Amino acid sequence: MAEYLNVVRRALGQIGGHGGLKGLLVQFFRANDVKTGALIGVDKYGNKYFEDNKHYFFGRHRWVLYTTEMNGKNTMWEVDGSMVPAEWHRWLHCMTDDPPTTHPPEPKKFLAEVHQFNVSGSAQQYVPYSTTRKKVHEWVPPKAEAQ
Amino acid sequence: MASGAATRAAAGAAKVVKPFLSRDLDEAKRRVRELYRAWYREVPSSVAIFQLDITTRQGRDKVREMFDKNKHVTDPRVIDMLVIKGKMELEETINIWKQKTHIMRYFQETEEPRPTDFLSKFYRGHDS
Amino acid sequence: MSTKVKQPSLFHWWLKLRSPLFWSRRPNSERVMLRLPTVGRALAGAAKSSLAPSNTVRTSVQAASNMVEVFVDGKPVEVEPGTTVLQACEKVGVQIPRFCYHERLSVAGNCRMCLVEIEKAPKPVAACAMPVMKGWNILTNSEKTRKAREGVMEFLLANHPLDCPICDQGGECDLQDQSMQFGSDRSRFTERKRAVEDKNIGPLIKTIMTRCIQCTRCVRFASEIAGVEDLGTTGRGNNLQIGTYVEKMFMSELSGNVIDVCPVGALTSKPYAFTARPWETRKTESIDVMDAVGSNIIVSTRGGEVMRVMPRLNEDVNEEWISDKTRFSYDGLKRQRLTQPMVKDGSGQLTATTWEDALTRVAGALQSVQGSEVAAIAGGLADAEALVSLKDLLNRLDSENLCTEEVFPMEGAGTDLRSNYLLNSRIAGIEDCDLLLLIGTNPRYEAPMFNARVRKSWLHNELQVAMVGQSVDLSYTYDHLGEETSVLKELADGTHPFCQVLSAAKRPVVVVGSSALQREDGAAILGAVSTIAQNARTSSGVEEGWKVLNVLHRVASQVAALDLGYKAGVDAIRKNPPKVLFLLGADAGCITRADLPKDSLIIYQGHHGDVGATMADIILPGAAYTEKNATYVNTEGRSQHTRVAVTAPGMAREDWKIIRAVSDLAGVALPYDTVDEVRARLEEVSPNLVRYDDIQEANYFKQANELAQAVNQDLIASPLVPPQLTVKDFYMTDSISRASQTMAKCVKAVTEGAAAVDEPSIC
Repeated sequence: MAEYLNVVRRALGQIGGHGGLKGLLVQFFRANDVKTGALIGVDKYGNKYFEDNKHYFFGRHRWVLYTTEMNGKNTMWEVDGSMVPAEWHRWLHCMTDDPPTTHPPEPKKFLAEVHQFNVSGSAQQYVPYSTTRKKVHEWVPPKAEAQ
Repeated sequence: MASGAATRAAAGAAKVVKPFLSRDLDEAKRRVRELYRAWYREVPSSVAIFQLDITTRQGRDKVREMFDKNKHVTDPRVIDMLVIKGKMELEETINIWKQKTHIMRYFQETEEPRPTDFLSKFYRGHDS
Repeated sequence: MSTKVKQPSLFHWWLKLRSPLFWSRRPNSERVMLRLPTVGRALAGAAKSSLAPSNTVRTSVQAASNMVEVFVDGKPVEVEPGTTVLQACEKVGVQIPRFCYHERLSVAGNCRMCLVEIEKAPKPVAACAMPVMKGWNILTNSEKTRKAREGVMEFLLANHPLDCPICDQGGECDLQDQSMQFGSDRSRFTERKRAVEDKNIGPLIKTIMTRCIQCTRCVRFASEIAGVEDLGTTGRGNNLQIGTYVEKMFMSELSGNVIDVCPVGALTSKPYAFTARPWETRKTESIDVMDAVGSNIIVSTRGGEVMRVMPRLNEDVNEEWISDKTRFSYDGLKRQRLTQPMVKDGSGQLTATTWEDALTRVAGALQSVQGSEVAAIAGGLADAEALVSLKDLLNRLDSENLCTEEVFPMEGAGTDLRSNYLLNSRIAGIEDCDLLLLIGTNPRYEAPMFNARVRKSWLHNELQVAMVGQSVDLSYTYDHLGEETSVLKELADGTHPFCQVLSAAKRPVVVVGSSALQREDGAAILGAVSTIAQNARTSSGVEEGWKVLNVLHRVASQVAALDLGYKAGVDAIRKNPPKVLFLLGADAGCITRADLPKDSLIIYQGHHGDVGATMADIILPGAAYTEKNATYVNTEGRSQHTRVAVTAPGMAREDWKIIRAVSDLAGVALPYDTVDEVRARLEEVSPNLVRYDDIQEANYFKQANELAQAVNQDLIASPLVPPQLTVKDFYMTDSISRASQTMAKCVKAVTEGAAAVDEPSIC
């Protein structure tokens, strides 16, 4: 009986933890998962980082709830793993147990001021170009003078 | 001596051919019919196995077309050779050594015929 | 050839010169600038009689009784007296290793590589300088000979850097080859190697002087063949250096040949540096079109790109030399190219399009006009195949307006008599003549190979040269008769003092430059020249086959065009402006937009975006001379053909094919589909065009002269000035050389000094 009570309590906790039924559904559809845990921190873009060591297996115990608007892009439904900034990435991937809220990263020149998305697959992506010398340079006709 | 033998062999070749598999045209034709029957039966299962976007009817029409392509051949040795080649194709199809694309190659001509008139050759490239 | 043999004395002089004792008695000899070849005009006789090999100068065949019998490795051979040991060996087919000896240069005898043993002689002798004596047995492979070679090679390599892997001569280096064949496998020298500072002698030739083995071939080439005393040696012994003494450019139109002459990698090609290896390239035998001489060349290509151009042996045309423009303008083939058909869009901007579109427009334009409203101009680089198909096309459209850019007087006999516009004496024929009269031409820059031939004859055959026209440096001395046209008149009348010399000449030759005939009074000049030639001919009493009158052309296409019946000069077009103008590689800009009515259509077919393409409405990209199988006729009337070395870039096609395609769409299909059929058509029109490497005799000088007398034209007083006066006019003359960066660098170096052209200092 006690187990069933526990399930009900957790279910209610999920509803409460996500801000009601609507919040739960939004969370479910955005992240395909509903989890509650301790809020470890929020980065400057609004991504929320959670941890729950007790109920979840290692590897699933830290997660992020993406912000809905980042770098001027609506990220309500188009979320991307590269939205996590570098300092949180190491905590999220268990490279360290110290979240940047308590241990702010050493400022480095190479750390981006504003975190950028990965642009692979988009129009802005880097495309390598040929660096070999052209064998034949064609003639470019002169611009016709305006009439 | 050798040349004499060659002449005799050449003269003999015109009359009596050394049989390859079939002794005469009728036997060769029998082999062709056997092969055709085997293909005819194989088509529905191939269409299913390879998930081809064609109907069985289309497949069988193609088989017939491929056989008709060599209708003019009358030399039993050549027919035998073609039958052997057909058997090899059939074996590859049945054992799924072929892939879908290999089957569909029968349905599409991939090689464009080279142009013969001057203007088309000119448009096509430098030295064709 | 005189029987007096001067060789031993000169040879001993050399031995003396090389001995340290000789120099030890001469203090302060370090800074002496020594020009090695002493073969000036004074010594030319000596050079001719014994030093220079028989093929340098044409000499009469010796009587058989005069022959000397010698033995090469026991094999008997009969040679002329005065033949060197090396030549005698060559006659048997035995190659003697050599560095300083070169067939076409005087003998220096300073590399000592050609040492061979003579039986019963105490010491090995230098084969290149020693004339054979009766009964000598030359041992080319004896122990002593091999030891001598090995020792010489060891000395040469003592100071030669071992940088073959980064040396541009690697793979075609005489030193590399001969050290493999004749050298020892190790050196006994442990001392430091000598290092020599590199010299900047211009944008064409790269010098790596540390590699120099002091063979002095380049010095001898410069002073004997090129006729510029720019290169020399300074210092003695280990400190001997080749150079210009003060930093200056090696200023010669033939300078590139020292690259071929150099047996090691000391002089290499600057544009070719570090680009390719000889074993990577594919060689195609071809013909040069930069001037009207039609030098024989080899085009080295790699991966569809021309890597370099080298000379090909043709004793009748260019021997084994080529001009710098021929050799180095190949980078113009890779720049400013027309690679796609273009048409003008609504705003008047040329935009790339497809062949279908461009050809349809051309065909539509040709169909929409009446016969004589369409005209064509052929430029200087057009080949005979394109010329004949263009002529056939326009003739089928009922038009006869086919012109060449180059002017030639059409009055009198005009271009109807072939002898009127050819270099009838031939280039090799200059070696047989004893008096050459140049009129209004500067052959040094208009036809460098012709000039080299004149210089050779001047040097070895005592050829006397005279000139009417502006005085220019021809690299040999000549009598300057004045630059006024009145001189011509006096020469024709026989009142000029030079006429005595002219009439005394046994085999006179008169050469008139094509530029002199392009003046207003061209016909009168041709008439006067023809009279001078006719008079000289009658007074000399030379045999029937000897030709006196010669025209020296400047562009490669002219003779073929005139043979095919093109009109010379665009006057007809200027007088009667066509509605559709077809330019076949016409880049000289003799017709501009201003000469034509406003709505006329200009079609340009060619390979470079130059003057012609800029004013065109439709551009059809053609192939350059390295990209097509095409016939060119040189100024002698010798037809030669190029071969395809690389495919034409982009959508460019062979020229005759484009015209054939146009004809198809215009509804007047030409009856040939292959290049052989085009050549069959060429043979129909003018059979000499397909008799490759053969010269068809041209005659009727007398009749041409009579017709020229009928011309009513007076000579204009203005002086005869050839268009190319100095070396800076030489480099950029056609669309290919104008697109070439190397040629632009040359012009810059010539005007501002070699130091002005900054090269990346690699290696």
